[in-house]
Amino acid sequence: MNELNYGISSSPHTRSRLSTGKVMYDVILALLPATLFGIMHFGMDAVMVIVPSIAAAVLSEFLFNLVCKKPNTLKDGSAVLTGLLLALVLPAGVPIYVPVLGAVFAIVIVKGCFGGLGKNFMNPALAARCFLLISFSSTVTTYKLDGVAGATPLVDLAAGDPVSIRNLFLGFTNGVIGCSIAGLLIGAVYLLVTKGITWEIPVSSLLVFVLFVAIFGGQGIDLSFLAIHLFAGGMILGAFFMATDPVSSPVTSTGQLIYGAIFGLLAGLFRIKGSAADSVSYAIIVANLLTPMIDEFIIPKPFAYRANALTGPRALEKSSGVQFKVPAQAIVLCVITLIAGVGLSGVYTMTKDTIEEQKELAAMESYKEVLPEADSFQPDEALDAQIEAMAGQVYGDSFGRVYINKAIPAVDASGNSVGCVLSVTSAEGFDGNVTLSMGIDNEGTITGIAFTELHETAGMGMRVDEEEFKGQFAGRAVDGFTLNKSGGASSDSEINSVSGASITSGAVVNAVNAGLDFFNNVVKGGN
Amino acid sequence: MSNYTFRGGVHPEENKEFSRESTFRVYEAKGEMIFPLGQHIGKPARPLVKRNEQVLAGQVIAEADGFVSANIVSSCSGKVKDIGPRQTVSGKMAECIVITNDGKFEQLPGIGEPQADYNTLTPQEILGKIKAAGIVGMGGAGFPTHVKLAPRNPEAIKYVIANGAECEPYITCDDQLMRGHAKEIVEGVKIILKLFPNAVGVIGIEENKPEAIEAMQMAAEGDANIHVLTLKTKYPQGGERSLISVVAGAHFPGNKLPADVGCVVDNVATIYAIYRAVCFNEPLMQRGVTISGDAIANPCNLLVRIGTSCKELMEEAGGIKEGVTCNKVLSGGPMMGMAMTSMDVPLQKANNAITFLQEDEVATAEQQLTACIRCGRCGTVCPLGLIPQMMAAAAEKKDYERYDKKLNGLDCIACGSCTFICPARRPLMQLFKQTKAEIMAERRAAAAKAAAEAAAKEEKK
Repeated sequence: MNELNYGISSSPHTRSRLSTGKVMYDVILALLPATLFGIMHFGMDAVMVIVPSIAAAVLSEFLFNLVCKKPNTLKDGSAVLTGLLLALVLPAGVPIYVPVLGAVFAIVIVKGCFGGLGKNFMNPALAARCFLLISFSSTVTTYKLDGVAGATPLVDLAAGDPVSIRNLFLGFTNGVIGCSIAGLLIGAVYLLVTKGITWEIPVSSLLVFVLFVAIFGGQGIDLSFLAIHLFAGGMILGAFFMATDPVSSPVTSTGQLIYGAIFGLLAGLFRIKGSAADSVSYAIIVANLLTPMIDEFIIPKPFAYRANALTGPRALEKSSGVQFKVPAQAIVLCVITLIAGVGLSGVYTMTKDTIEEQKELAAMESYKEVLPEADSFQPDEALDAQIEAMAGQVYGDSFGRVYINKAIPAVDASGNSVGCVLSVTSAEGFDGNVTLSMGIDNEGTITGIAFTELHETAGMGMRVDEEEFKGQFAGRAVDGFTLNKSGGASSDSEINSVSGASITSGAVVNAVNAGLDFFNNVVKGGN
Repeated sequence: MSNYTFRGGVHPEENKEFSRESTFRVYEAKGEMIFPLGQHIGKPARPLVKRNEQVLAGQVIAEADGFVSANIVSSCSGKVKDIGPRQTVSGKMAECIVITNDGKFEQLPGIGEPQADYNTLTPQEILGKIKAAGIVGMGGAGFPTHVKLAPRNPEAIKYVIANGAECEPYITCDDQLMRGHAKEIVEGVKIILKLFPNAVGVIGIEENKPEAIEAMQMAAEGDANIHVLTLKTKYPQGGERSLISVVAGAHFPGNKLPADVGCVVDNVATIYAIYRAVCFNEPLMQRGVTISGDAIANPCNLLVRIGTSCKELMEEAGGIKEGVTCNKVLSGGPMMGMAMTSMDVPLQKANNAITFLQEDEVATAEQQLTACIRCGRCGTVCPLGLIPQMMAAAAEKKDYERYDKKLNGLDCIACGSCTFICPARRPLMQLFKQTKAEIMAERRAAAAKAAAEAAAKEEKK
């Protein structure tokens, strides 16, 4: 043997052990703990999402390359990763066509059509999730465990139900397959330590997100409230595994900090103020779209062209800063956070009182609206105490998740009692809470209802606020209403549903019924 | 662990163990010796000898032609066989002086004799001796040393940096030189300090060479003006700019020189050659070279005469290891070395190693090439703070305006860190070298056109 060949190439002649495949498989490895937790928790329902999703992603990549006469790229592992990521952001037990369609959309439309690996303008798995959210919204937002649908921790939180942070951390909740925070964090630490992902994006996004929730979440710095927002709703999965997708995030460290901050801010905004079923996915997708712009505008100068190019730490000087260097990015991050924090809290403090006043005013107005005969409202201490005692508890057991917020007796100009106004919330609107004010006169006749909180779908659930629906209640004196979904109400106790919005209509009817019940049994009973 | 280091960089496998304990073995050339006229950056030297002329070892056979150029010295005695094109280490044909080696190595009289104390010499005399000896940068660059040591304003130089980092994998000849000749290197630094009244000497060594560090520390002990600095083991720690960023805390653009930020950097082998030239009137005839790699039978450090055929060096190291295939031969190490195409080429002044490798990793990498995944690792490892990912995108689109003005791509020092780390196995370095060549060619063409137009205008008048 001892042969001598002259291999010719340009320097360098050696390479690190990294390869695109290794980068991808490292992320897959990091996702395994969360995947296993998911399978343990959801059982075969999870497997029946994960397997079809990966299979469809791999197959569609293979076929797309075949049809387009491109080289086979399966061994770079990106198709497997996309399939797995997509499965982890879907609920267990969805019909098999959901992950399959999503995976095909991710690989063919988002990745293949834009030029394949490295060219996708969004995270393919998240783009697919958004596509599925829009196309099959109720299917992919129904979280079933062993076939029984239940509320997600965020819905529970909004409704004031207790949320176990321990269960949330371990993943024993209703949610997507990859909802085990413990599993995700094991993977995240692995990736950070092996430098599979950079620290900039998770750190800046989580920091800004928590800050936003603390300021605007309405609970201040309540640690358990913040922890629930951080651990629920896919923020951890998003910050460590989705937003860090190298292809759709900025290249430079500074760019990544800004990108992370944008993502965190949007996620907080969508979470607290938005009405969509998902905040994290949309926030990342929007941040993805800003990536090319960030990369165009944030081009850090080479060291030689920076202001401190000639004044770096000198090794021989006694006070050499070489040993104790604070990374410049850390300072940038702190400054961004500080500015964002001061700005946000400033705006909030300035507007906080006004917002509260406006709310009070709106409530008072709605009380007058629903009980026009009233001249003034005289809170009853005994009644208030009773309501206080029920705070956070569902009222009754036949009205769904309904809460009584307030009941205030009303008097006319000459001081005679004219009835009572109530504020009632149902947590079972199509999209969160429905809060209404209702007036009842002393004979138990409804004098009117008005909404003070309504986030329903425009043109559908929102139509409960039209006279055609809410006007049905006024002037009727019954013990309770029933909802007629077909629209042919014939008796006083029947209410015609808004067509196509039976969930919202039902929530309203339940809230009114609870209010009536409370009036008849507590207000009148107490008098 | 040392914290003295630059920003960025990579850590390729060091692979120094093949030869690190091999002390220098003198090897005397047997066959004919070849001396390329261009062994340095700048204009090739002008031959002073004719065919069939008898020459002695130490005789200047070609003299520096122009300001940036260097003398060529014969390292053997014998007859000039030919002056004409021969293949050189780079693979290209170049003008060379070929000497039939008579095997006697008869020296010019006076060479090797102790000289007057250098403290009595003027800077001009020192520089004259360095120039006469034909000394160039021996770490790989080959820049004429007498030019480097004569900046416009010698008073402005604050640091004389002796580069003993040796960050290239496999190479150990500087390590051995520092272990064996520490005293001489310190003397060499003192000679250079004679040229720069306001400077201190700093000897930078990577911490993976503890014996060399100890030897240098002992040699420099008691001299308040010379410091030994232990550097973190990281590539390209031995790059001129990396060292300056550690020692002087300065980064400077590609169109500036180390002297502009008050630094002079010389390889320890160059400094040793300066010592021999100034103190013993010995021109640059010999150098240490590492013959290593996983495909050579007996990796070693050799002390050889410049102009020796690389084939003889390979045979001296036992040839290709029994039972293996060598798929790549490099002059230098794997990070910045050049792939060789033949062993029938002479060793030059700036060649510090020949590395024989079983695996052609670049060929393997080509199989694993994928599209750029925009991970940005190239930017984190760039010792200059450039963004290779964006440079590559601009270069591929031939957007040279953006490449140069917005991304400062022409500053690239071709260290190859970005290419080493790239998971997508993109041949970034190759693209950057090519782009630089194209931009330079464009500029030359534009300048030539402008000159022609001006000449035409002149004629019209």
